[in-house]
Amino acid sequence: MTATTSKPLPQSEATPLGQQLRGLLAFLGSQEFILALGIVLLSLAVYADNPRFGAERNLLSILSNSAYIAVAALGMTVVIITGNIDISVAALLGVLGTIAGQLAVHDYPIWLAWLAPIVFGILIELFIGFLVAYLRIPAIVATLGMMSVLKGGLIFVTGGAWIYDLPKGFFLAQRQPLGIPMPIYFMFALTLLMAIWMRYSATGRAIYAVGGNREAARLSGISEKRILMTVFGINGLMVGISTILFATQFTTIQSTVPPGVELTIITAAVIGGVSILGGSGTVIGAMLGAILIRTIQSGMIFVNVSAYWLQAVQGLLILLTVLVDIFRRRRQMSAIGK
Amino acid sequence: MLKKSVVALVLVAMLLTPVLAAPLKAANDAPSRMLLGQDDLPTNPLACPGEEEAMEEPAATEEAEEVVEYNGGQPVDAPDLAGQDIRVLDLPKLIGIAYFAATTKGLNEAAEELGNMEIITDAPTEASVDDQITFIENYVTQGIDVIAFASNDPVAISPALRNALEQGVHVIGFDADSEPDAREWFVNQATFNGMAKAMVDSMVEEVGADGSVAIITSSLTAPNQNRWISEMLAYADKCYPDLNWLETVPSEEDQQLAFQRAQELVNKYGEDLDGIFAMSSVAGPGAADALTQMGVCDQTITVGISTPNQMRPFIENGCAPKVVLWNPIDLGYATAYVIRAVIDGELLPGATEVEAGRLGTLPVINGSEILLGPPTVFTQENINDFDF
Repeated sequence: MTATTSKPLPQSEATPLGQQLRGLLAFLGSQEFILALGIVLLSLAVYADNPRFGAERNLLSILSNSAYIAVAALGMTVVIITGNIDISVAALLGVLGTIAGQLAVHDYPIWLAWLAPIVFGILIELFIGFLVAYLRIPAIVATLGMMSVLKGGLIFVTGGAWIYDLPKGFFLAQRQPLGIPMPIYFMFALTLLMAIWMRYSATGRAIYAVGGNREAARLSGISEKRILMTVFGINGLMVGISTILFATQFTTIQSTVPPGVELTIITAAVIGGVSILGGSGTVIGAMLGAILIRTIQSGMIFVNVSAYWLQAVQGLLILLTVLVDIFRRRRQMSAIGK
Repeated sequence: MLKKSVVALVLVAMLLTPVLAAPLKAANDAPSRMLLGQDDLPTNPLACPGEEEAMEEPAATEEAEEVVEYNGGQPVDAPDLAGQDIRVLDLPKLIGIAYFAATTKGLNEAAEELGNMEIITDAPTEASVDDQITFIENYVTQGIDVIAFASNDPVAISPALRNALEQGVHVIGFDADSEPDAREWFVNQATFNGMAKAMVDSMVEEVGADGSVAIITSSLTAPNQNRWISEMLAYADKCYPDLNWLETVPSEEDQQLAFQRAQELVNKYGEDLDGIFAMSSVAGPGAADALTQMGVCDQTITVGISTPNQMRPFIENGCAPKVVLWNPIDLGYATAYVIRAVIDGELLPGATEVEAGRLGTLPVINGSEILLGPPTVFTQENINDFDF
């Protein structure tokens, strides 16, 4: 609870012990804890059915495959907290991946190929932020338009040709320092940084304030425009990093937009407990949401769910998680109401 | 506490998942062929390796009986150009990509051999059927003897082609067809049962006739993939009954998902998994990349439908020792011979075969299609001959 919204808990005159208990219960009821528990229990259940699921290699690949979704979901969460959304992320991921790949095959330095998606990601997202903050175009419309522009532009420029013969040094995501795939380090480090920043920085608090009550935020001297630009800028940064994790995983780069990835990213954020109306949500939840999605996907293969049911079962589990979240929120709202 | 009940609900739900999923399990004890991603259309498996010669005759007559009548169109009052020089418009889906550069190369190789054919390659720079129609109209107006096309849209291109036929221009399709009556012949690069035979034979050469294999398909609703899988199962039932089919998983034209699926299959079956069929040009690279990065190619390999450029690194490192597709140079080459045969009056409606230079005699199938022949298998030996 404390972690999920900017609103302070109603403080009763409880004893310190009572407060501790209350804090513990709030933690146990938090979306993060439920998600973490869900991941662990689901994994144990699958493991009981098929012990091969528990192999270190398998657990690492689940985490590693979650990473690029999780990193993009961090940015998405921040956007959604302000009451906006970005449905152009998958298209952006495809475009930025192609930019990175093209720079790498044309003998530009590797660091430039890695830096370019971040820079272009931030620039494109700042443009979206400008449309939303200054021209007052609803984010869903602005990003829907951007999605078409990016997809169309990509197919026009590449003609659908794949990128081959990437230099060896390019494959950042294939590296495994200390036997752990690189994307996992990125996922945890970025989540931690973002969580701290969102919780303790003035801008982080202001992001929640704008999403929670725009008018109150304005009256308390927060510039909504500046916050929206910041939010989309952060989203661009995260999509850029996500692109690097995605594009450097493979020997060839698919020059088309990966289908449905924006939905997976938004789903991860929503499962993570972000309120689609804005005002609340955490980045740790988003990361756990991404890991849960991958755990479900992988677990179903291990317990022999028929391929024909994969999507339906995955959707049901996601729906269930969101329902539980809504249920939990209602309780909290009525508790606050009292 | 209410929160407790929420937590409890989630716990129960999570614990119940495998139980709830139990009826959805692919029955492992009684492997059901209904669950491998095939369709329910009739199959027509080709002859097993070593039996081709013996089988060829009966199979041919059997096919001849159920053969579709010629259903192509005919040009109106076309001038008799038998043996004379002709000008051919080569109109691929688009220019600037390696695949159609290869078909054009094949057309020109054959034109050089024949000596009395000029190939004019002109096509849009992006795969647009509207642009193709403009090209057709312009060339018909200017005057051209033959149009050889690969359509971007089988329905939309047909009226323009019918108009060309009415103006006395010969129309031949390759790679991607129009409606049958809008062209005289279509050069078909591969049949489903032909691809299926090449895939299964390639796999068996790598993992043996009693190996265990899984399939990564594109999506479970993709008609081409379902057809290929059906024909593969039928062919394997006939020729390699001991081949052990583990399961089929979808990858939705997503390289990352194919990568993940291959990892999961290897982690799930370990050394019991000998081979993965990758059923699309996206699944192939994804699966091969996963096997490469996991370092398991000494025990699990992939055989896929993909292009040489996409699979080159994996053909070279042995993770995808065999990749199945057709040879686009041969496709262009055959198209040129078909054109010449039509002009010279050697390929008339009702014909059952056509001479195609170095490719030998090609059969007529489905009424008005010429089959290129068995698919090409790309391996370490021939991969460097191809760039598309």
